[in-house]
Amino acid sequence: MRDEGAQVWINWGFAVPALALMGLVNLIPIGQAFYFADGFAALPVDARLIESLKNTAVFTGLTVSLELVLGLAMAMVLLKPFPGRGWVRAAVLIPWALPTAIMAMAWQWIFNAEYGVMGDLFFRVGLVSSPQIAWLAKPGPAMAACVLADVWKTTPFMALLLMSGLATIPDDLYEAAEIDGAGSVRQFFVITLPMLKPTIALAVIFRAIQSFGVFDLVWVLTGGGPGGKTQMIALYVYDTVYRYLDLGYGCALTIVMAGCLLVMSGFVLLVTGREEA
Amino acid sequence: MVLRYLSGPDIGGASAEIIKRFEAENPGIKVEMVEGPAATNIRENMYSTSFMGGEATYDLAYMDVVWVPKFAAQGWLRPLDDWFTPKMQTEFLPGDVLGSTYGGKIYRIPVQSDGGMLYYRKDLIAQAGLKPPKDWPDLVRIAKKLQNPPALWGYAFQGKQYEGLVCDYLELMWGNGGRVVGEDGKILVDSPEAIEALRWLVDAVRKHGISPEGVLTFQEEEARHLFQEGKAVFMRNWPYAWNLVNGEGSPVKGKVGIMPMVGAEGRGGAATLGGWGWSISAYSKHPEEAWKFAQFATTVEMLKISYEKGGIIPARRSLFKDPEVLAKSPHFKELYDVLTDARPRPVHPMYARISDALQLHVSAALAGQETPEEAMKGAADEMRAFIERRRK
Repeated sequence: MRDEGAQVWINWGFAVPALALMGLVNLIPIGQAFYFADGFAALPVDARLIESLKNTAVFTGLTVSLELVLGLAMAMVLLKPFPGRGWVRAAVLIPWALPTAIMAMAWQWIFNAEYGVMGDLFFRVGLVSSPQIAWLAKPGPAMAACVLADVWKTTPFMALLLMSGLATIPDDLYEAAEIDGAGSVRQFFVITLPMLKPTIALAVIFRAIQSFGVFDLVWVLTGGGPGGKTQMIALYVYDTVYRYLDLGYGCALTIVMAGCLLVMSGFVLLVTGREEA
Repeated sequence: MVLRYLSGPDIGGASAEIIKRFEAENPGIKVEMVEGPAATNIRENMYSTSFMGGEATYDLAYMDVVWVPKFAAQGWLRPLDDWFTPKMQTEFLPGDVLGSTYGGKIYRIPVQSDGGMLYYRKDLIAQAGLKPPKDWPDLVRIAKKLQNPPALWGYAFQGKQYEGLVCDYLELMWGNGGRVVGEDGKILVDSPEAIEALRWLVDAVRKHGISPEGVLTFQEEEARHLFQEGKAVFMRNWPYAWNLVNGEGSPVKGKVGIMPMVGAEGRGGAATLGGWGWSISAYSKHPEEAWKFAQFATTVEMLKISYEKGGIIPARRSLFKDPEVLAKSPHFKELYDVLTDARPRPVHPMYARISDALQLHVSAALAGQETPEEAMKGAADEMRAFIERRRK
């Protein structure tokens, strides 16, 4: 029989290749970002940083909460057996599988002021008096357009994550609740939601990190305009490093960005509680 | 030995033809054209990344005029003064040469010239018994008289928050006697002239209604579509649109005139210079051969091939008086007037940041988020702040 100490070392031995790879692609670049970072004094007075953080926060908050609600609804529907479910499951994943930049161009046409479908839709329903609406020319609607395009694309992904969580909830819990006389609404709040918490936390953190780093969708759809009102932090980092050739300040900005994500993830974990995890 | 460079897609095969002829005349030198993406900012990144690493991947750089100060300030380009003499420089359009110069040295030999100009519907203006506009107020007056929105708008331009908006705005600002940067490097975008020029543009959308609100999402192509479908009296655009609006099947074919952009009352207008040319990498191991190719590709004969096959407007003066070219393209006469007066965008190593500050605040003013005063003041403060920070 091997002694415990040796076993621990062997276990570590197996983990080394994976850890080395992680170190190579994570720790070294992070270390370099701190090494090159420069210009921290300018951060608090950088109007564009503050503006883009604000925009990114709004975008992340809206997209993630909408995706969570819609994704949960979608997941619960898709979990119930019904004829043709396999096809429907495949169909809802299509938006997620399409390339973002190309879909952003499609959304650009949908929101086009002259020929856009969205304006026509609003006109036909009778909400507006002319089908020519310059959606992307106004700050509020332009942001809404970005949010809509992102929600459309990523809700299926959220649903997929939540479905895996829903599938792990044992059926006997629902059966017991039914015997005790709990209706489906009550079942949702006392069984589904609490049992799903760890999955929700994971899904929200996962999506929030992606959403906070949004680049391609906004870059193509609005380019950050009008008047910088859809300017996101990732666009600013890109401009700073590649177009202004200011690597130091770009690194400082990515550190700010990473800090925001850490705080955000910590907050989500705190709210959903750790005890189930 | 092999010379390598990166360019956009070789439309019409002009570059391939030039390379073929060069290689036939210069045995031992091969030229490899890497056809990159059409989006110029991506090619700019590809060059930047390669040069940042000090690599000799590219011997030549096919350069947009706005890259020159940035690349030269980084020491990525080889000065061409020994080869490209002042006398040779006079054979090219003055704006293109000026835009190729940084810190008193020349870094680029121009190939293609480009300048913003005003397209107008000569049929509509003649029918109304009017003349093409002589200044900005005149343009607004004619546009208001002829337009009938949304079927026919007065003025189409590039209003999206991107580089094109800066080009459009600078033309108006220069046409009103304003400047971005003074001789001494001072930022001047909050001068009364600059603010007034922005007010013209804002008023065109928000007060006179001669431009649709959707103009805030327009790049070149959106403006051209509107104009080509006969839905605009005036359009600010680049020379490329000429062949398209006069192409087969275009509803406005033969009904279009071009002229230099108009400016303030009693002032001439101005054009923003665009355009492309050859630079030689500071890391190239074969600079002399690279110059040989750059010189060959900018001869009269090769520029003619570029124009015929690829529609590339030449940067050499003599081609605008060339009977052979004029016979096929009579509009080169008007084009020459536009291009000789075209001005490069501010030659500053931090131009990209300057442009972004302008894009953001001009766009905010067009969207009604800021007044013209607030916008230009905001842009100026931002520019001063980052220039100050870089100095430390």
